Amino acid sequence: MGATASHLGKDLLSEYQELTFLTKQEILLAHKRFTELLSREDKNLPDPRAPTEAILTLPELKSNPFRERIVRVFSTSESRDGLTFEDFLDLLSAFSDSATLEIKSHYAFRIFDFDDDGTLDEHDLEKLVNCLTGETGDTRLTPDEMKQLISNILEESDIDKDGTVNLSEFQHVISRSPDFVSSFKIVL
Amino acid sequence: MFQRVEALIRITVVTSLPYCLDCNKEPLQVGTKHDIQIRALETGERLPTLCSRETIPAPICLNRDGLTRAVKEMNSQLQRQGSATAVQGTGYTSDQGSPRLRRVTSSRPDQNGPQFNWRPASAAQEDAGQEAAVPPKDLRALPMPMALKRAISQVQQMQVPVLSSFQSWKRSKAKSLSRARKSIGGFLHYITLWRRSLNKIGGNFGDGVQSYFLFLRFLVVLNFLSSMLIIGFVLIPSIVFRSVASDSVTMPDNGTAECRQYDPKPDPLVRYYSYFLDLLSGTGFMEYTYLFYGYYRNTMVAESDFSYNIPLAYLFTAVFYFAFCLICITARAGTAVRVAVATGGGATGSYSRIVFTGWDFGCLGDTATKLKQKNLHYQLQVDLEEERIKNEAASLTLRRKVLLYSSRIFLSLVAFGLIIAAFFGIYRATTFSQSKVKETGVLGLFYEYLPSIVITVGNFVVPVLCDQIALLERYNPSITVIVALLRSVFLRMVSLGVLLFTLWSQITCFEGVSEECALCHYNHKSYPCWETRVGQEMYKLTLFDLLITLAMLVLVEFPRRMVVDNSSNKLIQFVGRQEFLVPVNVLGLVYGQTVVWTGALFCPLLPLINTLKFVIVFYAKKITLFSNCRPAAKTFRSTKSKVFFLLVLLFGWSLALVALIYSIAEIHPSMSCGPFRSLTSMWTIVPDSFHSLSLTTQGFLYFIGSQRFSIPLFLFFSVVMCYFIALASVYGKSVDLLKAQLKLEGRDKQFLVKQIEELSRTLAVAR
Repeated sequence: MGATASHLGKDLLSEYQELTFLTKQEILLAHKRFTELLSREDKNLPDPRAPTEAILTLPELKSNPFRERIVRVFSTSESRDGLTFEDFLDLLSAFSDSATLEIKSHYAFRIFDFDDDGTLDEHDLEKLVNCLTGETGDTRLTPDEMKQLISNILEESDIDKDGTVNLSEFQHVISRSPDFVSSFKIVL
Repeated sequence: MFQRVEALIRITVVTSLPYCLDCNKEPLQVGTKHDIQIRALETGERLPTLCSRETIPAPICLNRDGLTRAVKEMNSQLQRQGSATAVQGTGYTSDQGSPRLRRVTSSRPDQNGPQFNWRPASAAQEDAGQEAAVPPKDLRALPMPMALKRAISQVQQMQVPVLSSFQSWKRSKAKSLSRARKSIGGFLHYITLWRRSLNKIGGNFGDGVQSYFLFLRFLVVLNFLSSMLIIGFVLIPSIVFRSVASDSVTMPDNGTAECRQYDPKPDPLVRYYSYFLDLLSGTGFMEYTYLFYGYYRNTMVAESDFSYNIPLAYLFTAVFYFAFCLICITARAGTAVRVAVATGGGATGSYSRIVFTGWDFGCLGDTATKLKQKNLHYQLQVDLEEERIKNEAASLTLRRKVLLYSSRIFLSLVAFGLIIAAFFGIYRATTFSQSKVKETGVLGLFYEYLPSIVITVGNFVVPVLCDQIALLERYNPSITVIVALLRSVFLRMVSLGVLLFTLWSQITCFEGVSEECALCHYNHKSYPCWETRVGQEMYKLTLFDLLITLAMLVLVEFPRRMVVDNSSNKLIQFVGRQEFLVPVNVLGLVYGQTVVWTGALFCPLLPLINTLKFVIVFYAKKITLFSNCRPAAKTFRSTKSKVFFLLVLLFGWSLALVALIYSIAEIHPSMSCGPFRSLTSMWTIVPDSFHSLSLTTQGFLYFIGSQRFSIPLFLFFSVVMCYFIALASVYGKSVDLLKAQLKLEGRDKQFLVKQIEELSRTLAVAR
């Protein structure tokens, strides 16, 4: 890869600027924070992979209810565990200020798709709502409310009435919401 | 090598689709959305794989064309096997290769590319050419891992496209432009004001509170830029030419000598504390300074190659200041308003919107996350409850409906009456204060500040009462919030208007025939330089607003926090810490800005003072937010919307514009002070200096103002507007048509899937 753990080459930096939405300062900051997560042996490897537990200690991700899904979606390893530096940059690029609506909605769909089957069915939606409202007893919705909510969601967004929300229907809902781009943001 | 390139291109095309990927078992492995296997076409050589062994779902993932092809395929198989139960195909034509289904072993062995919607595998040759034409910036927007994006960019660089020299020049210019834009973005990122504080606020208190601070930052920048404008065009030339030139216009002497008497020089023998009082009220030593209108002269410098007309500059700067603020506000509101208009207000789809876009990924820390979760829980519950109430309300009996509506009308009248009472109080206070202008000392200061005090008290008491009234009216929760907010806006803005009206009536004696105003067209006995007086009123309002903010901080919020933290009384714990109410604070900012706009013509340095004031308010509010406030458990979308803040600001701007137009065009300027002292109205300087322009310019300006130009222009703009309205309605209709078509396609898909299941059963039986 050409990047030692301590220093990013200039052409590599410009390549990352071409391929992501991050600015130079953001890439350098990401590099610094990423190398802090690596253990000492990993630092000398050519393409180190930070384990999931280390990544989840980042303050920006620590209390996010979707943190494990985020790491899973952006990981390119076989077992979907741990992120290389380039995966980490992909993550920050999708969550950055200047990323387009399409890429944000694409990754949001994959994060919300808990069973990775390509569509949001009722179980995905139920897990999503539970993540949003918290798992503790007093903030969970009652089963009746949950059923009513899920049927309302499907009625509003499932245009072809197949009982699931696919990517285009999801993107259609997102495109009508002006707040999405500013709330789907993680800045180091 | 070329085959490698081809294979990479194929992968590009394939993986830029979401899901619906169906690889054959052998030699390609079953893949998922972005995991693919790279395989060269001709040689079958295997390149490193990124595939995993997950399976993909049933034919549902294929589109309708794929399904119909599947049905046709199965039918032909059945017919080949001589089964008599083959079902007729649905008659769709297709010119693409055969689809793959996992349940059916297809007879087509070597269709390498997986099937997808819009780039058939057989058209790979065209793909090669088309892919090369993808401009470089689209790479970032591809939802793929970095390794794949790098591969694609390498492919693009290897492919030397045959471009004409014009296209390659265009490409290189686009690249340098994007590089320049990136460096500017980096620079702006570095100098953005308060970026880190705003991130911290947003992470800990949510984006409702953050939107208030973003609005405040916008106002600080706006005021700073406009004060630079005023200083550059009015203040500095005045300072320079004061030492150079003298008054160049002599006044006609027709019995108006009395009007020209104005002696603002302060009494040199004063007590020491009067300096402090003068600082607060703008009188005494502060009155005859560059701060107020009265100090500026009507110098008109005309040298051989340089001329500067100070009155004209003063007027044009004021007008341009208003135009500049309008442009900034509409530019900032532009995107949000466009989205709001395009999505039709977004009343539908609210549940999906809350669930899909509700989570704020910028939340930092456990407390903020738990708070956001509680907030979302509350929002969902409220929406579900509103739906239940609406269903109930639709079934109300006629008698109860009549009761409800009549109670609403009555309560609206009560609220309106309260507001009118507040206005009357302001009017009385202003007339009383103006009549006591000769008092000195602390009592004099109190009388000076009486209008501000009454306005502030009114702005505290009346909104609280209106909130309670709105609760009694039993609208659903979001409408209640909006109604209460609108009443507060109305109250604050129009109370300022009442103040201005009172001042005007005193200055011009109600445009009447009272003998005080007969001589000089304004009340010269009480107001020898009335513009300075108006400027002083606005200055006092601004300062009083700042003092009240700081006093609330020190005297109310900090003690409240200390009481809540140190006492274990149940009642106190129930009341709890202060909550940071965004709408009330935003209204305070808009009110302050409206005061500045109204007073800028009479107190040119007021925008600069306002910049400093807003900077102090930013830090004060930040301190109180982090020390004393608890985050709000309930927020509503409308109250944090950017568009709402900017609309209220625009309302304040239009109020100030009315005051400006009236001051410029109607009221006679003071004859004893200021740059317009020899004119009948401020606007007359423009026609007067018009004749000093060159003849061609005059002719051009006459033409622009004439009917020969303006009527065709107006017609042209009407035609353009009709075009856009027609376009918008056509788009709306086509959106509805497409939605209906999607529904039909979904039903077709389900029908075809059922057919496939039947046929596969028949096939299995027939074997």
